[in-house]
Order: sequence, then C-alpha cells, then structure tokens
Amino acid sequence: MAAVAPHPRTAELVRARLEQGKLDVAGTLFRWLLVGTLALSVGVLAVLLIDVVTGGWGVLSSRLVDFLTSADRTSAEEAGVFQGLRGTFWIGVFTVVLAFPVGIGAAIYLEEYAPRSRFTRIIDINIRNLAGVPSVVYGILGLAIFVKTLASLPDWLGGGPLTGGRTVMSGGIIIAILVLPIVIITSAEAIRAVPDSIREAGFGVGATRWEVVRSHVLPYALPGILTGTVLALARALGEAAPLILVGAVQGRLGGGPGSLVDLGQLQERFTAMPIMITNWSGEFAEGFQDELAPAAIVVLLVFVFLANGTAILLRNRYAKRR
Amino acid sequence: MSDVGRQRVPLTLASLQGDRRRLRREAALRRLFLGAAALSIVISALIVLSLIREAWVFVSQVDLASLWTDGWFPRRGLYDLKTLFAGSLIVTLIAMAVASPLGLGAAVYLSEYARPRVRQALKPVIETLASIPSVVLGFFALTFISPEVVRRFAEEATLANLTAAGIGVGLLTIPLIASVAEDAMAAVPDALREASSGIGARKVTTTVKVVVPAAVSGLVAAFIIATSRAIGETMVVLIAAGASGGSLFSLDPLREGLTLTAAMATQASGTDAVVGAALTFQSLFFVGMLLFLVTFGLNLVADRFVRRVRQKY
Amino acid sequence: MPSHQHRGARLLALPLALTLLGAACGGGTGENADPDVAGGGSGGDGAGSGTVDVSGSSTVEPISSAVAQLFEEANPDAVVNVDGPGTGDGFQLFCDGETDISDASRPISPEEIATCEENGVEFVELKIAFDGIAVLTNPANDTIACLNFADQYALVGPESQGFETWAAAQPLAGELGSNTELPELPLQITAPGAESGTYDSYVEIVLEDLAEEREQEAEPRPDYSSQGDDSAIIQATEANEGAFGWVGFAFADRAGEGVKILEIDGGDGCVAPSAETIADGSYPVSRPLFIYVSAEAAESNPTVAAYVDFYLGEGIDQVGEVGYVALPEDLLAETASAWEERRTGAKEA
Repeated sequence: MAAVAPHPRTAELVRARLEQGKLDVAGTLFRWLLVGTLALSVGVLAVLLIDVVTGGWGVLSSRLVDFLTSADRTSAEEAGVFQGLRGTFWIGVFTVVLAFPVGIGAAIYLEEYAPRSRFTRIIDINIRNLAGVPSVVYGILGLAIFVKTLASLPDWLGGGPLTGGRTVMSGGIIIAILVLPIVIITSAEAIRAVPDSIREAGFGVGATRWEVVRSHVLPYALPGILTGTVLALARALGEAAPLILVGAVQGRLGGGPGSLVDLGQLQERFTAMPIMITNWSGEFAEGFQDELAPAAIVVLLVFVFLANGTAILLRNRYAKRR
Repeated sequence: MSDVGRQRVPLTLASLQGDRRRLRREAALRRLFLGAAALSIVISALIVLSLIREAWVFVSQVDLASLWTDGWFPRRGLYDLKTLFAGSLIVTLIAMAVASPLGLGAAVYLSEYARPRVRQALKPVIETLASIPSVVLGFFALTFISPEVVRRFAEEATLANLTAAGIGVGLLTIPLIASVAEDAMAAVPDALREASSGIGARKVTTTVKVVVPAAVSGLVAAFIIATSRAIGETMVVLIAAGASGGSLFSLDPLREGLTLTAAMATQASGTDAVVGAALTFQSLFFVGMLLFLVTFGLNLVADRFVRRVRQKY
Repeated sequence: MPSHQHRGARLLALPLALTLLGAACGGGTGENADPDVAGGGSGGDGAGSGTVDVSGSSTVEPISSAVAQLFEEANPDAVVNVDGPGTGDGFQLFCDGETDISDASRPISPEEIATCEENGVEFVELKIAFDGIAVLTNPANDTIACLNFADQYALVGPESQGFETWAAAQPLAGELGSNTELPELPLQITAPGAESGTYDSYVEIVLEDLAEEREQEAEPRPDYSSQGDDSAIIQATEANEGAFGWVGFAFADRAGEGVKILEIDGGDGCVAPSAETIADGSYPVSRPLFIYVSAEAAESNPTVAAYVDFYLGEGIDQVGEVGYVALPEDLLAETASAWEERRTGAKEA
C-alpha cells in the first residue's frame, strides 16, 4: 500500500505556507532527479521500440503476409518467419497444456491442503529457487534428459536415434518446466488473497475441501491466476537459451513452410522466433541484421505485448470489482 | 432439527462418516495436488543430478593445470575458469551500475512522489519493459548501444563488447529492481512517514532518511535478486558480446568476452562423441553447475532478506 | 454460480481443442515422421519425402544450403536441415550418429576417424569444391601488399603472444628469414576459432611446418579475437586500421572494397587469390571442401541418397553460384565414382 497522500492541492498549499516561499533546492533537485531516472528508463524503451519498428518497417510494410508465411531462405528478400512462428506456437501449446494445470494444482495444494510442516517449507523454498535458476541451466536439463538419456528410449517420447531428441517436443516440455515455478508462485498468491470468509462459508454448509476450492476459491482467484499464467506464457514465448541447448536449428531448417498444426512436426528438428531473431541478428549478410531481424522482433513483440496487455487488462478489470 | 411432517430417519454411524465416494474423491484429489507440488522437487533433483553426473566426470578427469591458463578454449582443452568469471563479473557490474540508479529512482518516485493516476499509468510501462524478451535487448545492444553509445565514447571498442552487453542486461533488470524495491517501500507503514512529516521534515528528508532506511532489507533483496538475474542472463551476452568458441582472459570491457552463461550456449552442439580435447562436453555441465550454485546461493540470501522485511511489518 | 464453475473448464478446453484440431489437420501428413526408420528419423515411402540432417563447416554451409533449397523445390516433401557450427563440431555430431552428412573444410582427422570407427559410423568422403583462404587487412594499411609464411608465423604464431603491433613481430620474422617491412600499426587479429575448419586449414598450411621446425605447438597465439561467424571477421577487419585476419575467399571477395586481400608468397613469389589461382594451385593457401556421407544413412534413407545424387548432379553448379571454385572435370568424375561405388574410408588424412 503506497503512502496515501492527501489531495495534492491541499498538500501544496500547506507546504507553500510552511515554507513561506523559500526555495527547497535539495528537495526539488531530488525530485527532478527521480523523474529523470524514470524518464530515462521510459525513454530507452521508446528508443528501442522506435529502432526496431523503423528497422523492420521496410519488410513489414512491403511484404507482410509473405514474411509471415515463408520459410527461412538464403536471400533476404524471400526469407520469412513461418518456421519460427510454428515452433513458438507449439512451445506455447506445451506451456499451456503442461505448466498451467500442474502449476495451478501445485498452488492449490500449497495454499489449501498443505500442513505447516517442514516438508511444505522445503517445497516452498524449492519453488522459489527454481524460479531464480538461469534459463540456460534448464537448457542443460533438457539436453541431459531429452537429447542424451531419452535418445535411446522409444521414439514416441520425443527421442530418436538420429534426431536425438532435438525436437520441438523436447523444447516445449523444457520451457513448460521453466515457467512452472512462475505459474505456481503467482497462482499461490492469487489463492492466498482469497478471504477466509469465503472458504468458511463453504465449509459451513458441509462442503469438502475440494468442493470449497472448486466452487468458491478458484472462481474468486481466477483473475489473479489468469494474470499470472498469461505472464508466464509471455515469458515462455521469448525464451531462447534453453532451446539452443536442446538443439534448435540455427542454420537452415529444412522443410519449407508446411502447415502450422502438423502433429508430425513435433518429432522433427525445429526453430522458434527468438532463435530466428538471434541468428538473423548475427548474420551480417545483406538485409538480415538491419531489416529482417527487427521485422521478426516486431512480430514477436506483438505477441508478447498482446499477452502482457491482456494480463494487465484482466488485473485492472477484476481489481475494480473488489 | 425440524422433522415435523417428515419421516424420522434413524441416525447411524454411517451417515455421520460422510459419503464414501466424496471422501475417496477428496483423498484422491489431495494426492493429485500433492503430486503436482512434489513435482517441483523432482525437477530440482533432476537438475542437480544431470549437472553432477557430467560435472563429476569433468572434475575427476580434468588436468587441474588447465583450469588456470590463458583463456577458455574448451575445444583445445584449456578450461581457464577465471576468464568466464571475469566476463560474468564485468557484465554484472556494468548491468548493476546501470540498473540500480534507474530502477531505484523509478521505485522511489513511484512509491513516494507519484500521484495515484501517474502511478497507474507508469506501472504498465515498467511491466512492458519487463516483458521484453532478452533476444530483443541483445539485438538492441549490438545494433544500437554498441555503435551509438559505447563506440561513440570509446572508439577503440570492438564491434561486440562486454560493455554493450552489460548495458543491455542492465536495461533488462531495471523493472525487476523497480518492482521489488517499490514493494519494499510500500511495506513501510505510513505511520513512519507521518511521524517524520509531523516533526517538520521535508519530503526529500522523509524519503531519504526514513523510508529508504526502513526498507533497506527489501532493497538489498532487490539488488541481490537483480544480480542473480544479471549473472544468469544468456542471450544478451551471446548476441552482443561476440566471443564464440573461446576467449582469452581479459579485464577489458571494451572487447568481446565470454560469460559463464554464453560459454554454455556456445557448446550447443553438445555431443559427447568428443574428438581431440576429451572433456569439451563435460565442461558444459561443469560450468552449468557453477552457475547453478552461484545463483542458488544468491537466491537463498535474497530470500532471507525478503523474509526479514515481511517479519518487520 | 455455474458460470464460474465452467470458466475453469473452459480454460483447459481451449488448448485441448487446439491440440485435437491439430491432430485432425496434421493427421494426413503425419506419416512423414515415421520414426521407426533409423537414420534421419523418418524414411517415408520414397526418396523425396524423408529428412536429411547436415551439419559441419560454416564454409561449406552456404553450398549445402543452396543445394538443399533447390532439392526441396524439386521434392516438396523432403526436409533438409543444414547447420554450420564448425567442421570439428560437425564431425563430433557425425561420429555420434546424429547427422547424415558432415560438411567439412578440411579432411577428417585421424582422431575423428578413430571415433567414428568406435561408434560404427562408416562414411563416404566426397570432395566437392576448392576454396582459398584469403588473408586480410584493412585498406588503410598500405605498406603491406604481400606476406610470406614467415611473416604470418611471426604475426599470429605460437611464439607471438603479446605482440601488440605489426612491427613487434619484425624481429621474429627476420629470424625466420623474411625481409618484409612490417608497419607500426596496432595489430588486431580477428580470425576463426578452433571449431572452424578454416582455422584448421590455415594452421596446417601456414603455421605447421614452421612450428615443427621451431619445436612449437602448431597453434596460433591465444590472444586473438576468435569469431565463429565469417561475416563478423569481415566487419572487424573493415573497422580497424591495423586489422589482420583470415577468412574463406568467397566471403572476402564479396566484401569488396571494405577489406584488402593480401598476396601470399608460399615460396614461389607473391600470388593473389582468385578463382584461377586457387583452381590451378598457384595460390598457396587453398584447400578442398568435402562432404562426408554416412554410409548407413545413404543405404537406409533414400532421401539422403537422393540428396547426394542431386548435390553431385544439378546441385554442383551452386558451388560457383555461392562463390567457391568448382572442381575440374577429372576430380569431379572421381568424386562421382566414389559416390556411385559408395567407397568408404578416408583418402586424405
């Protein structure tokens, strides 16, 4: 809860009276310094967005649809991000299907069922630590499990003798694992914010714990949970380091555009939007670094900001309802 | 207990014990959720196990002399750790130097000075900065920060350099510091502010001499969390700090460099059919383990400080 | 509150529906990824519908990518993935059985042959092009037009660590018998790293003999800026007056006015790299480019065989298109016959 100041006008009048017109140099300077830091942060964000949009404008304005539906090509005039979109799409699907249910379930356990025991504390500390583990270490986990260990297991699990498990399934699963702690923590916070009176109302009429959760707690906490999960999704869409270690193709991914939801693609080599951006950023050949990379960034940012904006909107709308 | 007009139903033990099916379902669901929560422990265990398994191979087989050489060239069998630590340190220091004043300033302003409407408008902006993927910051660092900012002041800087990467990582961390610091200051009770105003302190005095010291645990936590994040950042360094498969030990921030994280990502072909230098693949896991330990330690310390804030108020 | 109860279900319903929809749509082409066939992860029903994994040299990558693009246009169901982490890294993956074809800008080394043998990987060695290595400096560096091997050893060899200027290498160059005058410019070296075949080729051709003579390790000095990306080397050379580096000739040629390509004296006078001098061998720093095809993949995956057939047939023109030097007729015929007979083993070790 921030300091609740009195109406600004009143405060100013009182302050003016007290200071009797003396100039508060240090205070004003300090205040402007703070505004300056804020302005600098916002300014840098603006510069970044302008830089990226102006760089990619050429490609986006002249051949947007072609750009979105073409595969990566050697010539900058023909290359497109479709393969990246497909990979990012599947990673999003895996995140939603795997991380959300498990994360919300874990949060429900921690907030509703768990006794105040040592075990619970350990789980809690553990989750907080997992949230702080660098993404590249998750990449190593993916490498060790999916690419190395499971490579010798049957192929339906994402491994295979030659592809070695460097598939979009492996990438999707590992990113789901990466955002799982975030989902748990934000969902737990949302559930914790539900007033106990609501729960007690449910118990009072004889409901079991699950029935109370399902019919009283979850609906109340849903906006907060949704906000958290959408933020986690935005994070998942932008991750690259784990994908590099799990074997996303950084050179030429074959196969052309193809269809978006081809399930057969799940066991093939893959790439994703952040990976394509990384490759194109370092590609000094004509047109890639200065036009295609920013264009791809704009496409990615559209999705990320969309997710973020949705989360903020949700939060604001339901905050008002309280 | 109105049973007027109704049949009298004898009260048995069974009816007090509750519907068996409901209870069974309840127990099953409880176990399901417990499983979900316990999965996090499984994940941690897997991370530690997979790191230790190969890292142990490295530690037991490595020629200790190769850990203190001229540079980190894993494909040639040179595993100079101080190269990587120096790179990570330089990037982290520059990042914190950028992010701390900006993040802290933004937090203080939003918490103490900004009117509610300004706050409401600016918080989403900060959160937007927080949601920008690190690859975008890496691109920005390489194509804008390096030529326009770094090379403008230091012409001898190489195209890709640690300073640009450090600034990029700093920009990435500003929202983190801002939000944790702001929470810390918001937790300071108004009573303290009002008491300070009551004895005639100006706004700046209250803020600097009362609120900030009261929130210091949270601020320290913010810095530690941000440091941990900066150390763990990979993509910005990979794109903007240039060095590929190996790097010479150097403390020069105006040249390319390798951090712990980028060194791991450049071993991406990650195969253990090693030819020549026998421990290239294992070195990847060894560095990963070091990284995990460092960030784990930092997070534990930060957690302590956060809990202290909660206890105080 | 039925609406609240259903909202939770709706949250999960959407992704589930998406996945089911995907299964319905993708079910038709799902046969592509038949995972039971070893070698490529998908065999399919014909030569034109499987997956080929190519990795290795970043020098050969543009050729393989161009050929792959054309091959996919002719065979729409085929998938050819091409990566370029470096010749050394490529062989690691290849000998581990993870790739079907390994691009290489140097012959496979004895250690790599041993590893492949250990893992039961047999290969067909196919020479596909020539490439020269251009030695570069910045155009502003106008005192130097030609370097011999002694000069280069003095500038970048194992004994040169710490030399900050070109002139600092003068004494060593003189010792080795060269009288080229090296300028007083700061020496900034940007060159490929150890994962690159270009690095290996350069070290072998330029540094190895002198290093052996002086009983040193055939390695460049460790204090240079190693770059995996050839274009990054070009950029760095363009930016620094005292720059020194080496890169594949095709890249240097394309860089145009921004870099100055030096002539090299390999003992027979100064020769500048060009398509002709590389092809006839008068330019001393040149090397053949190879693709190594897994014999097992060629047999079990018809798409791999089809791709290599295409590579050596219509695709070989891409060598010139991309900027490398085409093999003369006789060598090309040799390669073709080696492929037809599926001759395994390395000739050039």
